[in-house]
Amino acid sequence: MRYEQHYAWSILLRLFHWSFALSIVALVVTGFYIHHPWTNTLLEGDSSFPVGTMRYIHFVAGFVFTGSLLARLYLLIFGNKQERVWDFLPVTPRNIRNLLCTLGFYLYCPVKHEIKLGHNVLAGTFYLITFVMALLQLVSGFYMLYPESMAWQKWGLMLGPQQQARYIHFLIMWYFILFAFIHVYIVVWNDIKSKEGLISSIFNGTKYTHSS
Amino acid sequence: MSRHDFGKEVNMKVDRRTFIKGCSIAAAAMGLSETMVPKLVEAATASQRPPVVWLHFQECTGCTETLLRATHPDVGRLILDIISLDYQETVMAAAGHQAEEVLHETINKYNGKFICVVEGGIPTKDGGIYCKIAGKTAMQILAEVAPKSAAIIALGTCAAFGGIQAAKPNPTGAVGVQDLVKGKPIVNIPGCPPNPVSFLGTVLHFLTFGSLPRLDNMGRPLFAYGRKIHDQCERRAHFDEGRFAEQFGDKGHLEGYCLYKVGCKGPGTFANCPVVRFNEVGVWPVSVGHGCVGCTEPAFWDTMTPFYERLPGVNLPFAGGAVQGANSAGMKILGVTAAAVGIHAVVGIGKKVLGGGKDKTSEQA
Repeated sequence: MRYEQHYAWSILLRLFHWSFALSIVALVVTGFYIHHPWTNTLLEGDSSFPVGTMRYIHFVAGFVFTGSLLARLYLLIFGNKQERVWDFLPVTPRNIRNLLCTLGFYLYCPVKHEIKLGHNVLAGTFYLITFVMALLQLVSGFYMLYPESMAWQKWGLMLGPQQQARYIHFLIMWYFILFAFIHVYIVVWNDIKSKEGLISSIFNGTKYTHSS
Repeated sequence: MSRHDFGKEVNMKVDRRTFIKGCSIAAAAMGLSETMVPKLVEAATASQRPPVVWLHFQECTGCTETLLRATHPDVGRLILDIISLDYQETVMAAAGHQAEEVLHETINKYNGKFICVVEGGIPTKDGGIYCKIAGKTAMQILAEVAPKSAAIIALGTCAAFGGIQAAKPNPTGAVGVQDLVKGKPIVNIPGCPPNPVSFLGTVLHFLTFGSLPRLDNMGRPLFAYGRKIHDQCERRAHFDEGRFAEQFGDKGHLEGYCLYKVGCKGPGTFANCPVVRFNEVGVWPVSVGHGCVGCTEPAFWDTMTPFYERLPGVNLPFAGGAVQGANSAGMKILGVTAAAVGIHAVVGIGKKVLGGGKDKTSEQA
């Protein structure tokens, strides 16, 4: 068996992936704390600011999240072939077939599985949904961080009152938790089934195809 | 007026000192400089007081009450002094046909010049029959009065956004003034009840500058609704330092710690309550130990409830339509997902074991 090495993911994409992933971990943990501060100081004048600190970490992580999202937006348009948005959306007959085959592959059906250097179309579709969710999370987050900003006055009340934005923000957080959970499972599953170096590719950027 | 004054003859005239004081309060609330106070005084004492038509619709009259029943009636009396209140169902002496006559006389005599104050929501379902005055529906009265007014002040959350009667499922189809009246300047002064000082400030601004104050995207004056309650709260230090009342009546509550964990909606509500306060004795809900319920925000009965939880529940279809806390709903969905993932993995392993290690679906090596 011969393995062929293919360069798949640029450095910027890998940077995006890890800053996005780590910022989400930080945001979820601090977000839960802000939602329900599980500590209670019950001591006055001890110069600790747990809620203030957690909020600060949340906001810094939010800016990292924003930056990584901008990088991904750039790559969706100007990235390499695997990174561009048209490569992994079910818009061409070939991609629709890939979507159905991937679904069958995941459901243990005996279908011919297409080797694709970039995202498979099922994953790609969900990555785009995640991208849109991230944008919503970003807008609702900044809406709550800068509620007095004049920008909201001009754009109108897209998110409703602050409390509604908070609710939307909280529900989308659960989308990210579910996404991360399923994402990690499917990546491990694929790495076992397909043996194309999927997990290491997000560290070193290369994937492998094998031919006998 | 304290209870010791009860039975004494009450001098209803506002003295000059009180009058200047009231104007100064309004100037401070609007964020105007001290040098503007004489201008406000001048405008408020102009010989031609602006005629005001005050309409009551679907409501509890609490907005009028909060104005009239101030402990020191300064602000209330001041407002009634600087405007010519030609029609107000709660306080006017006229009744029946007399009152109707006054209304028609005023809106025709001062066509395009009077201020219309609306208190209460307007039911629109079934032709608006759920609120009728003198045989006419609220919709008809508003359609008659509003086009002839110079400006409209929607006083209270009901007039601004529909209020409690617009809460889901909104049986009478109640809406706020801004949903029915177009092409007229409308100021919303929401609150349940709104602060009379915000109302006074708006009226004085109109009299002094001939225009309405700057408004936010919900039509609320920015001088009163430009900041979040949370950012002006006297308990904010407790929030940042993580000192909370865990439940009503516990030690944290008695110590006056932050009410965030018992559902205070200050972080999502825009109003000047912590600064201007109520009843002229320096109180507001949080200062007396109850969280903010967000009464100045649109649809607060729907978005701010439950009042003692941080977030509303989620309607889970597969849990029999039960309303869950957003967190427990998330945990349940995560649990279902984990179960699905587990089954998926077990099927994969099972196939591998039963198939003797051969897996037909994997890559052709």
